[in-house]
Amino acid sequence: MADGTAALAQTGAARSAAGPRRGGLHRMMRRQSTTAFLLCLPLLALVLGLMIFPAFYAGWLAMLNKSMERFVGLGNFTFLFRRETFWNVVWQSCIFAITAVFFKALIGFILAHLVHVLPAKGQRKWRGMLLVPWVMPLAIGTLAWWWLLDPSYSAFNWVIRAAGGENIAWLGDTFWARFSVILVNVWYGAPFFMIMYLAALKSVPEQLYEAAAIDGANAWQKLWHITLPMMRNIISITVLFSLIVTFANFDIVRILTNGGPRDTTHIFATYSFALGIGSGDIPLGAAVSLFMFPILGVFAIFILRGVRRRADAMG
Amino acid sequence: MAKHSVSRRTLLKAGAAGTAAAALPLVNVHGQAAGGTLAIGFWDHWVPGANDTLTKIAQEWAQKNRVELKIDYITSNGNKLRLTAQAEAQARTGHDMLAFATWDVNIHQRNLEPVDDLVADLVRQYGPINSIAEYLGKIDGKWRAVPTTVGSQLKPPHVRMDLFKQHAGLDMQAMFPGGPEGRDPAKIAAWDWEAFLVAAEKLNKAGHPFGLPLGSFSDAIDWVGALFRSFNAVLVTEKGDIVVKTDPGTRAALEYMKRLCQHLPSDVFAWDDASNNRAYIAGRASLILNPPSAWAVAKRDAPQIAEQTWYIQMPKGPAGRFVGDLRYFHGIWSFSRQKNAAKDLIRHISQRENAERLVAASLGYDLPPFASQFDFATWRDEGPPKGLLYNYTPRDDTQPNISGYPSEKSIAAQMYNQATFTNMIARLVQRNEAMDSVLSWAANELEGFQRG
Amino acid sequence: MNTTVAAAVSEPVSRAAPSRWRPSLSRSRKWALWGAYAGLILFAVFFLIPPYYMLVTSLKTSQQIAAIEGNPWALPWPPTVSNWLALFTDTQFPIFFRNSVIATICTVAISMAISILAAFSLSRMRFWGSATLATGVFLCYLIPETLLFIPLFQVVGFLGLMDSMWVMVLVFPTLSVPFCTWIMIGYFQSIPKELDEAALIDGASRLQLLLKIFIPVAMPGIIAATIFAFTVSWAGFLYPLAYIFSFDQMPLTVGIASTMIKADVFQWHMIMSAALLAALPPLVVYAFLMDYYIAGLTAGATKG
Repeated sequence: MADGTAALAQTGAARSAAGPRRGGLHRMMRRQSTTAFLLCLPLLALVLGLMIFPAFYAGWLAMLNKSMERFVGLGNFTFLFRRETFWNVVWQSCIFAITAVFFKALIGFILAHLVHVLPAKGQRKWRGMLLVPWVMPLAIGTLAWWWLLDPSYSAFNWVIRAAGGENIAWLGDTFWARFSVILVNVWYGAPFFMIMYLAALKSVPEQLYEAAAIDGANAWQKLWHITLPMMRNIISITVLFSLIVTFANFDIVRILTNGGPRDTTHIFATYSFALGIGSGDIPLGAAVSLFMFPILGVFAIFILRGVRRRADAMG
Repeated sequence: MAKHSVSRRTLLKAGAAGTAAAALPLVNVHGQAAGGTLAIGFWDHWVPGANDTLTKIAQEWAQKNRVELKIDYITSNGNKLRLTAQAEAQARTGHDMLAFATWDVNIHQRNLEPVDDLVADLVRQYGPINSIAEYLGKIDGKWRAVPTTVGSQLKPPHVRMDLFKQHAGLDMQAMFPGGPEGRDPAKIAAWDWEAFLVAAEKLNKAGHPFGLPLGSFSDAIDWVGALFRSFNAVLVTEKGDIVVKTDPGTRAALEYMKRLCQHLPSDVFAWDDASNNRAYIAGRASLILNPPSAWAVAKRDAPQIAEQTWYIQMPKGPAGRFVGDLRYFHGIWSFSRQKNAAKDLIRHISQRENAERLVAASLGYDLPPFASQFDFATWRDEGPPKGLLYNYTPRDDTQPNISGYPSEKSIAAQMYNQATFTNMIARLVQRNEAMDSVLSWAANELEGFQRG
Repeated sequence: MNTTVAAAVSEPVSRAAPSRWRPSLSRSRKWALWGAYAGLILFAVFFLIPPYYMLVTSLKTSQQIAAIEGNPWALPWPPTVSNWLALFTDTQFPIFFRNSVIATICTVAISMAISILAAFSLSRMRFWGSATLATGVFLCYLIPETLLFIPLFQVVGFLGLMDSMWVMVLVFPTLSVPFCTWIMIGYFQSIPKELDEAALIDGASRLQLLLKIFIPVAMPGIIAATIFAFTVSWAGFLYPLAYIFSFDQMPLTVGIASTMIKADVFQWHMIMSAALLAALPPLVVYAFLMDYYIAGLTAGATKG
């Protein structure tokens, strides 16, 4: 009982940081915060040991010379800034991530609506079918795409030829190679957006639409004035999340084109791999990876704003 | 205190005994696995059964020397072998000895145990060693890894005899017979890049283009490097000076490529190491530059194509006849505790009789680093058609080459791994850039590679 | 049902021609439904092309795959089932499968333990730096695995986990824990504070509070997070690719890619049948738990 009241008081005190502190309560709080800290300890160990430390270590590596014997400061970065290929990679990563995320979100949004319209019974089946790409391990799904786009055996080209067209060099021509890697990424990621948006759609109260219908709103107006505002949060969060993951994507480009033709499909992860592992220049590879940070940092600001808004709403 | 010193002395004694045991010939060590455990990462062979033969050879040695082996076969696909080497170099733990392809010896030189004595012994036994193996494995005068038969491969022309006869009027089997007899030096001398170009044009017109990849994978880099070398192209000197802008050989090779590309499929710039095999097995390509894996798979999946397959020598250029040579090495990590055992095993694998077994098990794919071993029966007898592999090994005036030779090694390694050669060609042909702008792009790229 | 009531109510007010309102609604509904089906079929075709083609290829012999003539999309007749059987008799597929299952189960268990404990603490208790940690965890998402895998060589080597399947259990949680913790914080925060206050007044300890109230109430969120952790670790590719080189330690993704592709020789029929089987467990998991997943995501991630 006493414990309960203390805890109650504690919650109140924690809410207003400037709250009054008495001796017993203070001790109580200290014990509470020790427990709280201990509960977070596994998380802290994981994050510090396997993420923060290696990330800083990567930062250290990025400041070494090629044979990793000499400290060169920001030399690797200034070196990269002078390379044409590097700027192509930056550019291509942005094209890749933004285009892919845009289409993933668009297709996910459309699909969520299409599934939502269906009677509840039929939804399960369609949802399951449409989720297959997301469920398949990406590295393996990409292998299948690779075989579909093979120069000699492409089954798509077979269809095109049957329709009287010319073979397309899916992975050989810069435009088509970029198209292909984005296509595969959209194929893989769109189902996840569909599920997230479907979840969000289900949480929009039906009464809002009914009220709009009473006011004579058409489908477009309902979408614009009800659905989109209600889903704004989830859309921004999924888009930002996906931008991060897509930006750092590795499997698709690595398997489909390995950066070719002429390095025009390289993105940060694959270019860093090609430099670090392919050419044995680990510091330079690490520097390329680290360059993702400032760009992701911009996203992070947006995400943080969203998270904080959520926290405020909850608080 | 006294106790402490006693225990310390015993420890020292044990240590001394250990060193003595290691110095003794391993044969005399008694007891189960008295020689300890040797962890090995071999290249994972694509020929079914080839790994087993290598395991058998290694186990024979291990039993005699009472060493326990832990063998992993690691695929080179997707850079897995490279990743493994990087992982172990970084973590300073893992296998005792590992397979290294081409430039990886140079990349890991600081972590590799010198093996000069071993290579010197082998050279004494079998004569001069492959020049490319020496260029790649001997760094600053020290051998850092031992050139090995396992996985080492050449990339000479692998042609369809029927298509060549029918559409180009060339009897390749007559020009390059499956043995030393009946070779006409004049005819062979006439097989140069110009003749190659004429054949490429005719066969392309007939709907069977040459399947020459120009992407970023090793098949592409290896053959283009051989072509550049035969035009005497030097992009970077041995000392590391960048001369690409003014090098006449580079210009000549690029001009030639511009002509050749008119007769190649348009998507070759994206081909990987398997694309040319597939184009050949599908019956589309009339010529590819590849080790015999394409033939071996065709034998299983498209026997009518395999029967019409023949190996010929590379075409000759103004500076000679060169063939792409992809070398594998066995290296010993400097952090290994089994250096002597590893050296002994490598010596065992390199023996002529074992090399012969490896060549036979790999259907003639693996190529020893010693020219004195090019007389194995496999290359003479394997078929059908019998004798097609005779010309897989370098004959006549053919010399091995690696793209980037003889440039300064750390620059050459990056030229190879970042596909500078094929990038130049793609810029010239696919993007229609002017020659000078291609050359200055290359110069700029190469300057980047000078980074120490 | 709800809508019909609403429609009935709205009938007299909303439209100029009330008598035609009901049939036009149902007709437009029907059109919308047909349109939805048409759109869904279109996308389903796009989504299912690769799995279908995998199935077709997995039923071909290597000769049929090598042949360039003929329709590549047609199911071969007679289909070759031996590829599927050979997977279990001639390859290490069962070992890869076992490794994937073990690694995934352990990863999911560890991820959930870490994130539930942390989320409980971060959503209800405070300590110095707890707010920073809550956002910091989220920001960990910004550190991609492609950056971490090289520096992690050292950590993995130091722990003696190089070339061991347990390395996956060590590193996969880095991929799942940030998102899982985030979902769980969201979910726990949505539980009314009155509930735990009441429990505490009744003399429940913090642990009882977590076990008896939070976990049962947050079950949909827990399931959603579990499924996420499962998906991520089942599909894990780069880390095992970098750290595991013995066949008997590899998971499915890396095992398939490194044993069925050798140099320039691809065994497409084996790759495809193995890939389809590899996709099966997640498919089953999603089929059964999809409704919870959606419910969990709705409550956890989408609240705002």
